[in-house]
Amino acid sequence: MIRKVFICQVLLPAFRCRSHGISWGFAVVVSVLLGWSVQLCRAADQERVDFNQQIRPILSDKCFHCHGPNAEDREGGFRLDDKASALGEADSGAHPIVPSDPKSSEVYQRLITDDSDLHMPPVDSKKNVTKEEIATIRTWIEQGAPWEGHWAYSPPCLPSVPAVRQKAWPRNAIDHFVLARLEKLDIKPSPEAKKAALLRRVTFDLTGLPPTPDEVAAFLADDSPDAYENVVDRLLASDCYGEHMARFWLDAARYGDTHGLHLDNYREMWPYRDWVVRSFNGNKPFDQFTIEQLAGDLLPNPTDDQRIATGFLRCHVTTNEGGSIKEEVYVRNVVDRVVTIGTVFLGSTLECTRCHDHKYDPFTMKDFYSLFAYFNSMDGNEMDGNRKDPPPTLRILTAQQKQEIASLRGDVKNVKAELRKQLAAVEYHEPDDSKLGKVVEEVQRIWVDDEVPTGAKESEPWKWVTTPKPVLSGKRATTRTAMGRSQHFFEKAKEPLVVEKQQLLFAYVYLDPDNPPKEIMMQWNNGTWEHRAYWGANVIDWGKNGKASRRHKGDLPPAGEWVRLEVSVGDVGLKPGDKVHGWAFTQFDGTVYWDKIGVTTRRTVYSSLAGWAKDQRAAGANGLPKDIKSIVKLEMTKRTDAQKKQLLDYFLQHVYAPSRKTFDSLQARIQAAEQKIAAIEKAGPTTLVFREAKKQKPAWILERGEYDQHGLKVERATPAGLPPLPQGVDNDRLGLAKWLVTPNHPLVARVTVNRFWQHVFGVGLVKTAEDFGSQGEVPSHPDLLNWLAAQFVKDGWDVKRTVKRMVMSATYCQTSRAAPARYQRDPENRLLARGPRFRLDAEMLRDQALAISGLLVEKLGGPSVKPPQPDGLWFAVGYSGSDTVRFKPDTDPKKTHRRTLYTFIKRTAPPPELSTLDAPSREACTVRRERTNTPLQALLLMNDPQFVEAARALAAKVMSQAGPDARGRATRMFQLATCRLPDELELKQLLAAYRDHLVAFRKDAKAAEQLVQANRAKAELDPSELAAWTMVANLVLNLDEVVTKN
Amino acid sequence: MDPIREYVQSMTRRHFLSRSAMGLGSAALAGLLPPTGGAGEPAKRSGGLPGVPHFAPKAKRAIYLFMAGAPSQMDLFDYKPEMDKLFDKDLPESIRMGQRLTTMTSGQKRFPIAPSKFEFKQHGRSGAWVSELLPYTAKMVDDIAIVKTLNTEAINHDPAITYICTGHQLPGRASLGAWLSYGLGTLNENLPTFVVLTASWTGRKEAQALFNRLWGAGFLPSKYQGVSLRSKGDPVLFLANPKGVSPATRRRMLAALDRMNQDTLERYGDPEIQARIAQYEMAFRMQTSVPELTNIAGESKHVLDMYGPDVTKPGTFAASCLLARRMAERNVRFVQIFHRGWDQHGNIGGDLPNQCRDVDQPCHALIQDLKQRGLLDDTLVVWGGEFGRTVYCQGKLTRENYGRDHHPRCFTVWMAGGGIKPGVVYGQTDDFSYNIVDNPVHIHDMNATILHCLGIDHQRLSFKWQGLDVRLTGVEPHQPVKAILA
Repeated sequence: MIRKVFICQVLLPAFRCRSHGISWGFAVVVSVLLGWSVQLCRAADQERVDFNQQIRPILSDKCFHCHGPNAEDREGGFRLDDKASALGEADSGAHPIVPSDPKSSEVYQRLITDDSDLHMPPVDSKKNVTKEEIATIRTWIEQGAPWEGHWAYSPPCLPSVPAVRQKAWPRNAIDHFVLARLEKLDIKPSPEAKKAALLRRVTFDLTGLPPTPDEVAAFLADDSPDAYENVVDRLLASDCYGEHMARFWLDAARYGDTHGLHLDNYREMWPYRDWVVRSFNGNKPFDQFTIEQLAGDLLPNPTDDQRIATGFLRCHVTTNEGGSIKEEVYVRNVVDRVVTIGTVFLGSTLECTRCHDHKYDPFTMKDFYSLFAYFNSMDGNEMDGNRKDPPPTLRILTAQQKQEIASLRGDVKNVKAELRKQLAAVEYHEPDDSKLGKVVEEVQRIWVDDEVPTGAKESEPWKWVTTPKPVLSGKRATTRTAMGRSQHFFEKAKEPLVVEKQQLLFAYVYLDPDNPPKEIMMQWNNGTWEHRAYWGANVIDWGKNGKASRRHKGDLPPAGEWVRLEVSVGDVGLKPGDKVHGWAFTQFDGTVYWDKIGVTTRRTVYSSLAGWAKDQRAAGANGLPKDIKSIVKLEMTKRTDAQKKQLLDYFLQHVYAPSRKTFDSLQARIQAAEQKIAAIEKAGPTTLVFREAKKQKPAWILERGEYDQHGLKVERATPAGLPPLPQGVDNDRLGLAKWLVTPNHPLVARVTVNRFWQHVFGVGLVKTAEDFGSQGEVPSHPDLLNWLAAQFVKDGWDVKRTVKRMVMSATYCQTSRAAPARYQRDPENRLLARGPRFRLDAEMLRDQALAISGLLVEKLGGPSVKPPQPDGLWFAVGYSGSDTVRFKPDTDPKKTHRRTLYTFIKRTAPPPELSTLDAPSREACTVRRERTNTPLQALLLMNDPQFVEAARALAAKVMSQAGPDARGRATRMFQLATCRLPDELELKQLLAAYRDHLVAFRKDAKAAEQLVQANRAKAELDPSELAAWTMVANLVLNLDEVVTKN
Repeated sequence: MDPIREYVQSMTRRHFLSRSAMGLGSAALAGLLPPTGGAGEPAKRSGGLPGVPHFAPKAKRAIYLFMAGAPSQMDLFDYKPEMDKLFDKDLPESIRMGQRLTTMTSGQKRFPIAPSKFEFKQHGRSGAWVSELLPYTAKMVDDIAIVKTLNTEAINHDPAITYICTGHQLPGRASLGAWLSYGLGTLNENLPTFVVLTASWTGRKEAQALFNRLWGAGFLPSKYQGVSLRSKGDPVLFLANPKGVSPATRRRMLAALDRMNQDTLERYGDPEIQARIAQYEMAFRMQTSVPELTNIAGESKHVLDMYGPDVTKPGTFAASCLLARRMAERNVRFVQIFHRGWDQHGNIGGDLPNQCRDVDQPCHALIQDLKQRGLLDDTLVVWGGEFGRTVYCQGKLTRENYGRDHHPRCFTVWMAGGGIKPGVVYGQTDDFSYNIVDNPVHIHDMNATILHCLGIDHQRLSFKWQGLDVRLTGVEPHQPVKAILA
């Protein structure tokens, strides 16, 4: 009896979470029933006290704090997480536990003593060991105190599959483990689910989407023994499988589209999301999946994909808050990496060990900072710079883009060869008198025409127009429309303008006659932007008026025509030799077009190398490339032959009048090709990656977890309580990744299969998917977990095979219909005596609505999209200067109707559909979602415009496809949503609802119009009927059966 | 007959029929609470943890007026007359003691003292010093307890505001309001348990960000997260029916949904279905109760005047305070109003008076209004930000204008109402409002105090997460501030 009640205690937390989701009064009833029923079942199950199931949880929760792994807090000189110490001698000389002898076991005596000074746990600990727990401990000691290592820390071995009485039931090994337990408890498994229900369930579990009516029909018609397996194989092969599996992983990897802290600016990271999808679809073995994410960059000759994978280490939130202390930010980022890896791969709560040795599990602070040392040497700034691509990043190009670039590079190579050939052909003779070869010439250099200069960074993507809008030269002109002061610019051009005397900066401008500006301004950057010229009113107050920082150049030019504006370099304070690498175009109000921007240089043209070189030397050789400059500066006699040749080549290409024109055009071709290459490269997305710094950063134990409190210096090392690094690997990130996926690693395979189990069955075999330690829950089916983990490794970490094994089991195929007593006995279905039944996740709910209404756009990958959400959600919280302070919804259905996986996640204000339905904000690693049931969810599913849109589309769909008969339409609608035909009662209710709505909408035609107006494409449908069906669809989409995986 | 059906029908048929007969609409409407008359009216609790509150609470509900960005304590409450003589003198090293600064000022060559340009006077029986910027607050010093020695470790906004609101500097933890919902449950099922308002402001335009995590549920189930009450669009997300769907249409749809879900319950036997049915009914009730809450047409002119001219502009701090009072009347457990724009790195002379004007009169009105309705006795009100500001100047210093950087070592908050001893000034800072001389109050101590007023022992309200019993107030020992408790 004692044992029985104890089990009830252990399971109590399990139902407690569940009870958040249901009404309170009900939860109390359930809890009482659950406690008793399970306890009765388990009583027959246990003859001996099970150390891991029954004793360790008590010791951990009540004793480890002072008698556990943490040496600093240890009292009495003994520990109860360690057999030798527990059975040995304490400081006092007493023996904590003496097998078979409770009277001599100090632990037991301290539990039962009346002396409050001696009683354990101490009163001020606020911990209490129940009478039942004490009795269990006594029984265990009486039974010889058999000790076992913590279940999660021994390598999973393939246990033998237990025998069962109902030999016909099992379909695979899983069923043997499940049934063996049920038989011990004398519980019968549930019958198999109906085919349609099973198809809907498995389609959701493998793809996150409902089956199509055709798929349902095909499956119902297929009586072959392989029918179900064929469906499973089809689903596993579908691209939607990877999208669905990726979603869980992205919760764990804490993937988001913004940095997550302070400004919370945009972060371009979606190539990593797509890599995860591809990996699941390609069934990348989980060991490889792990290695690439933790150390893809360290693999030999890493591919783009392997480098993208390291984004896992960069998904953590980052900041660039003004005033932040770099070292503190650096420590936080690295800690996040370590803690996430602890949760995702080790199922361990490493965060505890940031500040002290773990109080429950075998991890020390030294272990923590030794792991820290693997992840602290990133080649980049740990502050995000508020940019979308804080380095290290990888730019990703498509195969086509890569090919295009290769072809352009080929062009460049050819032109360069041509150039060399031409050079060799020039016959140059130095004139006798070097003074003769000199004339003055005006040369115009176009710097911006259709593209910004090579390598230049734009303030924002420039807006370009083509004819019929005003364009002066080339294919397009840049433009801007503003209210008040507004500008666009480029800076950091790869080849700056080198200022020479008498140069004129010019640009052509066209002012919109219908919307002229008050003022226009140009501005140049030679390291600062304090060089401005303006035309028109003096309303832009940058710089000092009348000075080089704000020079008035006249009235606004006439509108409606192209006008050339010129500014001499001296006017705006630019000096010879200055390198101008940026140009800005500012305006106050109005619409302005700019085109053909550049500089006119009056320069001397030479036909004598000696004369040119002499003049250059005298002028300081400014503006020449470095190597040429140094040659020019050498005295003629000191130049080597090679230098002479180099100088001559330069002269012939760039200066010598008779040959320069030929070379100018060749150079222009090279430049054009290079600009194109740069433009292609710039168009490719970037993604954050991890790259190891050349020099490894030192790591210390940080006292109390404080970034600036360096303790003992530590080296890279795996936790002492786990197996060592395998032979033959380097002690670096790659070695650590390989260590995680060594076959004898006790945790990784268990933790991973448990998460897959959780995806499919709703609750993991270990409910605390994030914590396999002493404070986590013990597995409901320890041998099954062992078997699955060992088999997973044996199968070469084959994910699809493992998932397939789960959904092929008879356990999975059971119906979820059960007598209420069964639900009450085991609300979370931990015994697996019925099929899984849970509310669909946020993403599945939206995807389902889009799918069955026919709106869903199935497209794999790409940038995140912004389906509409209520106004002001970002603005209410966003930092004023953030680039995500204002939400601008996408309007193209190709974007707004994509799977929820692709919805843009601003982490400080996540999409309401996701956060209302329990999806995490992605600010921190999450491996288990809670499932709640709230009125706000009901409001969302009824009224969110996206769900209303889906209802309208579903209504229109059945009206056009299911004939004129209301019965047929209602049947079709119900069938689309549930995958089964309605029964007579259901049909009656749907039809009654339809008729009621129709009567009302006929009376109020305006209301009908309002409800259906957005569906313009369906103009031929009667608005009242469409409105009435829309309400029926709204009803159907809210049915419990539809929002639930049954 | 199907045994599942049989069982469920025997359990629910009578209830189901009786409700159907009444019609969902009337049942729902009958359950809708009229505005309550005030304190003392017994409200039925639902949800929450057994055994919580741990002891008889002084406050049943709380309103937290959060000044995001960090108000300058020495320009508002922490009067430092000695500073006047030290204008533009360097902050003595003996005061700063090499403490870390944000990198916004750590590079400054000098740390010149910027005395407050504002006048201070003593007020009330307590003799509390209050700056001329807060004339209304000054009038009620005998209603409130001023704590001058709050302190924190975080020196930047994001970590600091996350810390004070969720007990931890990094994202992922449950917010104060989520803890209260989780522990105490609700007293009014027709309104959210924890409501958040983000008010407009008129001080520094470039305001620090807020984050949904500040009222998030963190590791707690998401049903405990704060619900934003918005001033534009739907007050509660997706509250309004789509255009063309009248309340009658919605009721018709819900009646059918109810019947069909009952049928599913009979089919499957899963009690979760029953919970879902209840949630839809509650959603329908919210469609009435929330608009009723936000409609202030019935407020008297006298009351509106008390809150000042902004009260009729939706989204202002004054309007938010009035709504907070209306929610207190309706037993909403926790209301948090975030007012931004307090990050005065520069232009204290220009921006701070505007910020104060936003909040001063409404704060006073809220306290008086609650008092007049007998609600102040069991409603806790808290005013404060995430840290303080430095006595030394950031940027250009003149007598008339200056800026102040972040200062975590001391700042001022005030508390009032249920559980708080009124007319108290607690804690003493040094002459520079830089270090604490007497009675430090860590932000965890303040959160422990808030919980205490609501009948919760902060050490015993915990949630098992990642193997630990996690608390709002962290692992180090902290305690409620006894001296300000009534």
